[in-house]
Amino acid sequence: MTAIVEVRDLAREYRMGDERVPALRGVTFTVHQPEYVAIVGPSGCGKSTLLNLLGVIDRPTSGTVSIAGERVDQLDDARATEFRLRRIGFVFQRFYLLQALSARENVELPLAEAGMSTRERRARALELLEYVGLGRRERHRPSQLSGGEQQRVAIARALANRPALLLADEPTGELDARTGAEMIALFERLNRDGTTIVVVTHDEDLARAAKRVIHMRDGTIVDDVRVDPADRRVEPVGLAPEPHER
Amino acid sequence: MRVNHRFVCLLLLAVAVRGAPAQQTPRSIARGVPQDAPRSITIDSRLAADASLHVGDRVVVAAGTGEPGDTVVIAAITQRRADPAEIARGEYRVRLHLGQLQSLLGYGDRVDRFAIATPSAGATADAVARINASAFGFQAHRSADVAVETSKTFAVVSRFHRAIGTITIVASAIFLLCIMLLKVDERRRDVAALRLIGCTERTIVGSVVLEAAAIAVLGSLFGVVVGGTASFLVNRHYQAVYRTPLRFSIVTGDIVLLAVALALVLGIVAGWLAARRLVRTPPLALFGR
Ligand SMILES: Nc1ncnc2c1ncn2[C@@H]1O[C@H](COP(=O)(O)OP(=O)(O)OP(=O)(O)O)[C@@H](O)[C@H]1O
Ligand SMILES: [Mg+2]
Repeated sequence: MTAIVEVRDLAREYRMGDERVPALRGVTFTVHQPEYVAIVGPSGCGKSTLLNLLGVIDRPTSGTVSIAGERVDQLDDARATEFRLRRIGFVFQRFYLLQALSARENVELPLAEAGMSTRERRARALELLEYVGLGRRERHRPSQLSGGEQQRVAIARALANRPALLLADEPTGELDARTGAEMIALFERLNRDGTTIVVVTHDEDLARAAKRVIHMRDGTIVDDVRVDPADRRVEPVGLAPEPHER
Repeated sequence: MRVNHRFVCLLLLAVAVRGAPAQQTPRSIARGVPQDAPRSITIDSRLAADASLHVGDRVVVAAGTGEPGDTVVIAAITQRRADPAEIARGEYRVRLHLGQLQSLLGYGDRVDRFAIATPSAGATADAVARINASAFGFQAHRSADVAVETSKTFAVVSRFHRAIGTITIVASAIFLLCIMLLKVDERRRDVAALRLIGCTERTIVGSVVLEAAAIAVLGSLFGVVVGGTASFLVNRHYQAVYRTPLRFSIVTGDIVLLAVALALVLGIVAGWLAARRLVRTPPLALFGR
């Protein structure tokens, strides 16, 4: 199994004037392809902080992060941007689609940025929209789509450049139960088709769908359990740095 | 119809004694027609309109009210020239033969000023030099120098206009920059999203600048249309008020070019500054965390 995410002693401290807020205090874990990991825990425990570090949006105070074999914790801005474009797909709670663009154009954005030709990216965007079940809505603007549909467009956009890792921060946070369930099914399908997913959530259903759940509290991992896919029985896998390599 | 003394005095200047032709015309007319046939005059269109006179009408011209005059026939009605120096003048213009004018005014064989047409600039300089060297008691000037002298007020007014224009441009540049900063700031979420999905600073700043440039060009073209329309209305109004063909306001190619270029530069600079400010902010901060 290839390790997609390798995190060692990761710490992130925010400074507010003289005050220091330790959001992450030494986190270590590994995610292999094609795992589906949910990170759960009470509000303020550092889940988003961790996800932002995995997404190369933020830089740690100490510790290392490797994604797909490449150290990313100290990348400069330009390299981090390039890395995000090619290796990471990010899905946010609030979708963050460009309102002025159609669904297809939103999906085409990262493809265009990666230098794909107009014809190719059009075809790929349509294929992706088809995949998330929005083939017929390619021309619609985000404002003409429901929350669930917008999140599907955001997922199609995140998958555009075939990322090594799909990250999602509360992807069902703005959706009702039914649409949330559809989203959970979509994530499961994505994972079955080989996408490595790390999702941060308060949504128990979404967490239960994952094959592995990391519990956090106060900036540390307090539990890391694998969910048996056969009967969805929760098996603790312990707190060791390499739970899957035993 | 009696034409009052003031007009007639003016005529002496207005007849613009073109040397030979002005003196030849009466002679030739005098030769061809009976001695007592009325001589011809021209009047301007304003007088013609106000007094409802037409070509062929007979009128009496005299040096002053109640004084004896000559009966003349209106031979032509002239239009005013598009000369800014003429628009504020309320007087009417009448042209008559120099001999008749002199006899009416009792001036005898005297003129205050006269103009000489020359074939070239060189000939003008030569004529001025020769007249000034030989004539006693008066001075020759180039008409261009006279024009400069009499248009000094215009130079001052036009300097004021330039100052007003400059202030307007500076103020609107600041205004544009502020609008642009605000407009781009509305896009902070979009910019953050673009940064997070991996769009480079160059792509983002480039697209903002491109959009700003397009808006600036469209805006300035709209401004040109508005300016052209306003100019047309101003001209139509004041040409009617002053009864002159003078164009009071013009939109020239130079002005259009300057306006578009200026807007383009301002748009690009403002867009660039605004976009850069956003791109330099960490994307997470843009989401208002
Ligand atoms: N930019 C920041 N500046 C200062 N403190 C921050 C910043 N971002 C996060 N924090 C702090 O770090 C801690 C972890 O925040 P984080 O957003 O990672 O929590 P979370 O687990 O995602 O919470 P939630 O479930 O509510 O989203 C919190 O105490 C938070 O206040
Ligand atoms: Mg969070």
